[in-house]
Amino acid sequence: MKFCVLWVPDFRLHALRRSDATLAGRAAALITGEGRKATIAEASPEAKGVTPGLAVTLAMAQCPGIILRPRDPAAEVEAQRILIAAAFSLSPRVEATAAGCCTVDLQGADAVRTEAQMRICIRELAKAGLPTRIGAAATPLLANMAAQCAEPLLIVTDTRNFLSPLPLSFAAPTAAQTEILSGWGIRTLGDLTALSKADIAQRLGTEGVTLWERAAGETASVLRHVEPSRTFEAEWEYEPPVESIEPLFFRLRAFAERIAVELRAAQLVAEELTLTLFLEDESDYRRSFRLPEANADLDSWLRVLDSHLETVRTAARVARVRLVAKPIRAPEKQGGLFDTGLRDPAAFWENLARVSAIVGEGRVGTPLLTDTHKPDTFVLVKPTELVPAPAEPPIHPPRGLRLRRFRPPWPAQVELAEHRPTAIESAQLRGAIRAIAGPWHVSGEWWKPKAWAVETWHVELREGGVYQLAHTGDGWRVEGVLD
Amino acid sequence: MADLRRFRGNSEGISSRFTSAPESEVSGLPASQSGGLPASQLTELVAEGPSTGGQLVLARLLETTRVARQRLALIDAADGFAPEAVPPDTLKHLVWVRCRALADALTVADVLVRDGNYAVVVLDLRGVADRALKKQSATAWHRLHRVVENEAPAVLVLTPCPLVPSVPWRLVLRTPHGLASRRLTQEKLLAQLTVEIARGHSTQAVAERAG
Repeated sequence: MKFCVLWVPDFRLHALRRSDATLAGRAAALITGEGRKATIAEASPEAKGVTPGLAVTLAMAQCPGIILRPRDPAAEVEAQRILIAAAFSLSPRVEATAAGCCTVDLQGADAVRTEAQMRICIRELAKAGLPTRIGAAATPLLANMAAQCAEPLLIVTDTRNFLSPLPLSFAAPTAAQTEILSGWGIRTLGDLTALSKADIAQRLGTEGVTLWERAAGETASVLRHVEPSRTFEAEWEYEPPVESIEPLFFRLRAFAERIAVELRAAQLVAEELTLTLFLEDESDYRRSFRLPEANADLDSWLRVLDSHLETVRTAARVARVRLVAKPIRAPEKQGGLFDTGLRDPAAFWENLARVSAIVGEGRVGTPLLTDTHKPDTFVLVKPTELVPAPAEPPIHPPRGLRLRRFRPPWPAQVELAEHRPTAIESAQLRGAIRAIAGPWHVSGEWWKPKAWAVETWHVELREGGVYQLAHTGDGWRVEGVLD
Repeated sequence: MADLRRFRGNSEGISSRFTSAPESEVSGLPASQSGGLPASQLTELVAEGPSTGGQLVLARLLETTRVARQRLALIDAADGFAPEAVPPDTLKHLVWVRCRALADALTVADVLVRDGNYAVVVLDLRGVADRALKKQSATAWHRLHRVVENEAPAVLVLTPCPLVPSVPWRLVLRTPHGLASRRLTQEKLLAQLTVEIARGHSTQAVAERAG
């Protein structure tokens, strides 16, 4: 196989169904023409008895409740982009042959891998609402014919046997040619090619030769390659604006499907998703989601978006939505045989994203102490996938109780005697001090305008409890309890 | 054969490659008859007063899970954990969730217990206002019970007062430590912890000194 064709039957109707949530699972048809001349162009399988070319009034009588819609060019563009993106996962040489049809040059590709990838394409496109057929053969024309016969994949190895039983219409004869050939009793491509090319040329001229060549699968054409997508974004304008989450999420799902396929075709993954909602009052709501694990996995994106959208409240209706994925190269790594890894890495990162949506950005992670003596200074970093081997135990084992902080610290009034605290009074805590240790002085960043200095005491109250007191230029505060 | 023997010799390493259902030992705590936090169960540790050793137990749990290279999630309802209070190496397996509200903490617990990648999930409710704790409906706890039963991790709930209804294990720390304890090593302090088993599967309430 040197070429393949990806073909979506009833493409315009499927494109429309991808963009309109109300059409899901219902009898629907695409109409062409206006007023009384309007006829059915494409009909869904649910619309029983409705066939292309039927007048709209007859279609409504035939299938009460049928939803009729005109073409939606924006939806078709969006659907065509996902089809092209899927085609790029097969080969970098892709032609956008027609709406719902792409031709791919497979020359030089590994046949086994390509066939497996074709099946993946069919599955992904079907999941995205585009039931696709793929035909592969030695020429683009043959591949196109194979796609029309495929259910859903057909790889032509024996051209003659494949073409012979096909009806003559596959070679696209003119009306005059059809009339002549049917008069000769020729019904199939095999019947036509059984005649010699010279005889056909003698009787039907050069047009007849072209038809014979098409029937024999000999026509070769040069593909007009398209460039793969370099930006991974999608935008949609709602008319009228929407105020509930369902249409928004439906649209974002379609966007995410397309962008994920485009990323995978380009061997990339998304590091960050940016969602922008343009509101009716001309303001906008923008939010970036840094994915815990860079990926091109639709389900994990949808979980992140869904968790966030559930909490979003906007001041006005949403008039336009945009989703942008920031691409990076997929990280590749191999863990050590004896490393302690994650049982389910996908769940781990997805759940961290969900938790982050609940508690807020920057509030989940592994704490990493920063290189300073300033109290309570750390950063939260992304947890590692592998838990490293523990370090040697410290030479000096930890002593005493451990601090549990009050964030923010409790402001306090402290009574002093000979420069040492003797009693505390704050909104949360009061009492006389029974025992005391300290002070410990730490300071830093003296070279900056906001130099800091803290005097720390550990105090035991007469009623029980050991607390950490801190004295700074702003006064006294209870920093935490030693527990 | 020699290769096979070597491979079998490494089988312990292979089994430890992935986190498994833990019996997370916290020495000093008679958390269960097996000497560790029971997997697939809630354990409530009530630190009834200040300086009774709740944070010490948490630090010990961090150490034991770190040695076993297990992952620990700390859901910190009042955002009280002080990373500088434990050795930096014992933080490397920790996923710390700094919550702003009790409801968030319970939602996060629900998510992380189901995750399957954590050996221990600690839900620290100390520092949350009493009123918020009392207002929490029993339904939320029963829901957490059901989730935990079907999952592998051991779940430790640190509370300032008995809170979790129908909890299989409730341990109470009542005796406060004084300032003099600052000279004692962690091992000695843990050995001195007085833990009361207020509720257990098979034992009546007993007070025992661990160590």
